[in-house]
Amino acid sequence: METYLAITAIWGVYLTAVVFFVGMGVRVYQWATTPRSPVPLGMFPKPETKGARVAKMLKDTFLAPHSARIEPAMWIFAMAFHVAALGAFVGHGRLLAEFPVLPELLGEEGMNAFAAWSGSIAGSLMLVGVIYWIARRTFGPYKNLSVPEDYLLLALLLGVVVMGDHMRFIYGGTIHADTYREWFLSLLRLRPQIPEKILASNVGWSLGTHMLFTDLFLMYFPFSKLVHAIGAFSTNLTRSE
Amino acid sequence: MDAHTIETIAGVIDKKMTRQLKQYLDVCARCAICKDACHQYVGTGDFKYLPARRAELIRHVYKKYFDSAGRFVPALYEARDPDDNLLDELYESCYACTGCRRCMYYCPFSIDTQWIVAVGKAILIAAGRGQEMLGQLADAAIFKGENVEMFRDVLVSGFKDIEAEVREITGDPEATIPVDKHGADILYVALAGAHSIRPAAVIFHEAKVDWTISLFEAANYGYFFGDAEKAKLIAKRFMEEAKRLGVKEVVVPECGHAYRVADIFYEAWTQEELPFKVSHILEVVDRFIKEGRITVEKGRIQGRVTYHDPCQIARNGGIFEQPRDVVKALTDDFVDLVPNRAEQWCCGGGGGIVAIEEMRDVRLKSGSKKVEQLRASGASVLACPCENCRLQIEDLNQLHGLGLQVRQVIDLVVEAMPLPGNTAPRA
Repeated sequence: METYLAITAIWGVYLTAVVFFVGMGVRVYQWATTPRSPVPLGMFPKPETKGARVAKMLKDTFLAPHSARIEPAMWIFAMAFHVAALGAFVGHGRLLAEFPVLPELLGEEGMNAFAAWSGSIAGSLMLVGVIYWIARRTFGPYKNLSVPEDYLLLALLLGVVVMGDHMRFIYGGTIHADTYREWFLSLLRLRPQIPEKILASNVGWSLGTHMLFTDLFLMYFPFSKLVHAIGAFSTNLTRSE
Repeated sequence: MDAHTIETIAGVIDKKMTRQLKQYLDVCARCAICKDACHQYVGTGDFKYLPARRAELIRHVYKKYFDSAGRFVPALYEARDPDDNLLDELYESCYACTGCRRCMYYCPFSIDTQWIVAVGKAILIAAGRGQEMLGQLADAAIFKGENVEMFRDVLVSGFKDIEAEVREITGDPEATIPVDKHGADILYVALAGAHSIRPAAVIFHEAKVDWTISLFEAANYGYFFGDAEKAKLIAKRFMEEAKRLGVKEVVVPECGHAYRVADIFYEAWTQEELPFKVSHILEVVDRFIKEGRITVEKGRIQGRVTYHDPCQIARNGGIFEQPRDVVKALTDDFVDLVPNRAEQWCCGGGGGIVAIEEMRDVRLKSGSKKVEQLRASGASVLACPCENCRLQIEDLNQLHGLGLQVRQVIDLVVEAMPLPGNTAPRA
């Protein structure tokens, strides 16, 4: 288990960080250095002022109100997934430091219970979202539109979410954020080590596999359609230029 | 397909590459939300008309030649060399696309499929597979621009015939259709055909406008064909004429794409600032009615009236309210189609498809949503700018027995004007 974790939860994380940030940087550089179309590609109704354009872009990007109107079911699943993913991302902030205020308010027990609840909800919603997308791609009338990239990403995402949920639901009661924080901060301090508590428990296999999928997912991210995570701001701004 | 053609096709994508195109090709998640937005996919259920699929064909080639991940693992993206099958499908999906951009409206990333389709058309042209009829019409328009003296006498005598009708309608023997009038306020660029000139001339005459008529048409088959250079040359004909005559305003007819080309694209294409403004005829008519420069009476148009937003004027041109205000000035029984304005369904006749005989079937099938909308409105008169929309909706009208009168808005305006010669609607 120690070797497995050294690969996926230590060296894999470093490699992933490099590939992800360099890859995203290159992608943004490519976009930035390609000349803009001289033809305005906006559509109407179009806000008059720059501020209103940016506000509309943010609304279109974060809420996608037009998509909601045309396909409410897809919108609900997609929104639930993205909001849950954001929640999970914020929750993972506990790897860096304990949240302010909340622990004092809830106490240690209360904080763990809160994390268990919110993490479980987010993890479940993400799982539902991924399964919905897999079903939509596999059984929808437009499955021919899908390319292997789509399935690869969903498979990786499924791995990330299932293993994250595994850690949450199976080991959530015994291993808490402070243990994982020890591991994560050791990575940041460049003196990586896996805490004894993890090595002593089977959670190590879960963490290792969760990190294996996460590494692969994030390393592939900049080379996939997931660059919509940053590109959508730009394309939605083009809408009202 | 030989290496040279493949190289040419990759070269076209390279030449057409802009930041927006790159982002559109990079970010599409293939979520297929666009499937319910496209009248052609909804009307036919044919996979090749799914907007994301139209773009996907270009993406396959883009991934192969312009994306390192696509070169490294082509199978992941189905990245491939263009072949005859790809070009066959590209031809059908790109030249059928009406460029309505309804898919862009609903896309969570606002991907402009028309912008990608334009690259598809450029690829087809470079590979010698451009749509022939559209290409010929474009070349004829450019030929006319270069040899206008050859056409002048025929045109002027045509204008004289229409002038006689205008005199009859207005009851004013002095009414004219001025040609080549230097220093006029307005240059009106009509379509080929008296129907787009006669009512406009009546309105200009009644509003006592200092105007002159262009020797050229506003329609732009270069734009439909997918050749920006040709499209520019075609629009340039009347833009140069307007500069030569020193007019203050160029007014384009009800035609949809002509407005978008003249008002939104032309300055970007030529990188020059035009010394006059470009208006749509319905903006101008709305102005005349609101300023009291022409008189229209309610009650002269019988039956419930509805209005169809042509995509290039409304969603893509920003003119939503002026035509409605015009129509509402003519009748108390106005009803809007549902949905309308930016969400209006494309009728299925845009983008030059009405001129492509081989695509007649898909065109008529793609009108199914428009037919539903029109039926639900309970209207008996459709006020419909844009010649292509009218041709398509008239076909749908016949095919489905809708019993609609499909009318140009300016025809309805003239009909509602209390004029001595205004007895019956004219063909």
